Amino acid sequence: MALYIYGIIDSSDQINEPIYGLDGACVYNISYCDMGGVVSELSEQLQNVTKNSVLTHEEVIERLMGHFTVLPVKFDTVFDGRDSVLSMMQSYYKHFKDNLNRLRDKVEFGIKVIWPADKIKKRIRNSHEKSKHEMPIPDGSSNKKFMREKLEKYRKDEEFEKKADKFINVMDIFFSKFAVEKTLKKLKTENLLLDAAYLVEKDRQDDFKEAFEHIKSAHIGFKFLFSGPWPPYNFVICQRKVTYLKIPSKKTCLFDKLIQHQDLAGADKI
Amino acid sequence: MHNVVTKSRDVTLLEVLDRVLDKGVVISGDAVISVADVDLIYLGLKVLLSSVETMEQLRGAPITGPMQEPT
Repeated sequence: MALYIYGIIDSSDQINEPIYGLDGACVYNISYCDMGGVVSELSEQLQNVTKNSVLTHEEVIERLMGHFTVLPVKFDTVFDGRDSVLSMMQSYYKHFKDNLNRLRDKVEFGIKVIWPADKIKKRIRNSHEKSKHEMPIPDGSSNKKFMREKLEKYRKDEEFEKKADKFINVMDIFFSKFAVEKTLKKLKTENLLLDAAYLVEKDRQDDFKEAFEHIKSAHIGFKFLFSGPWPPYNFVICQRKVTYLKIPSKKTCLFDKLIQHQDLAGADKI
Repeated sequence: MHNVVTKSRDVTLLEVLDRVLDKGVVISGDAVISVADVDLIYLGLKVLLSSVETMEQLRGAPITGPMQEPT
């Protein structure tokens, strides 16, 4: 019987309340030492990955969050039986333990900020045009003109980035006061100024929400998307060396030893 | 405080997908069965399309009021 795993929890106890996972199967805990892997049985392979199956995965983890510290496992992780789950728990035990200790009583919040990139660019362009009028550049050869245009574009892009950094810096300083860790992604697209995740202690959630409200009201013309509290998806740090032995082909007698360092997830400490 | 947590269904789904499909503990090894690679790729495309549409909608919405420089 295949076992679908939802998360790792900081308890070896059974789950008291009935929680139903994929295929409507009851969720239970496979304990290993002082922690457990929460699974449900899959009668057959998951044929269709639907919106519902993704939401069910998330819902199970959120229900678990009410009682335990949870390390969410990536969607679509299935084991071929109980022994495999136990074996995995044994090999990852230290990583799980470190993460569970670090993430205890903390939740994740997501913040996306969309800024009016077109307006910002237009403003930069206008300011460059103005300075050109004030200090006209004499006509030169076509090569010089080409180089000048390139330089101008570079400067405009640089200014655009600087403005983005300036806005992000102001927001981040404020949010960081109430968070313990963060991941920031700048300008994933021109309009998406910031895509951030903050790890916040549970008893500081209200402070963090207030900080968000403050920043939002101070940036008229920007659009904000605030979400959470989430399980700490973005803050699970797990590094494990996995060694693969490649089976040699008939043409070669040498084993190629491939060592892969897996950076399973990263997070920047504040 | 209700206005703080904006939870439009579609946007929330995107946030869920962004995390559930891409983040969290990743376990690899012989004992792990990958159940639906093809469907996941398909789902990934749908997610991407939805993301683009959502961003377009947000971008298309009128932006009112003066912009403020950070102080």
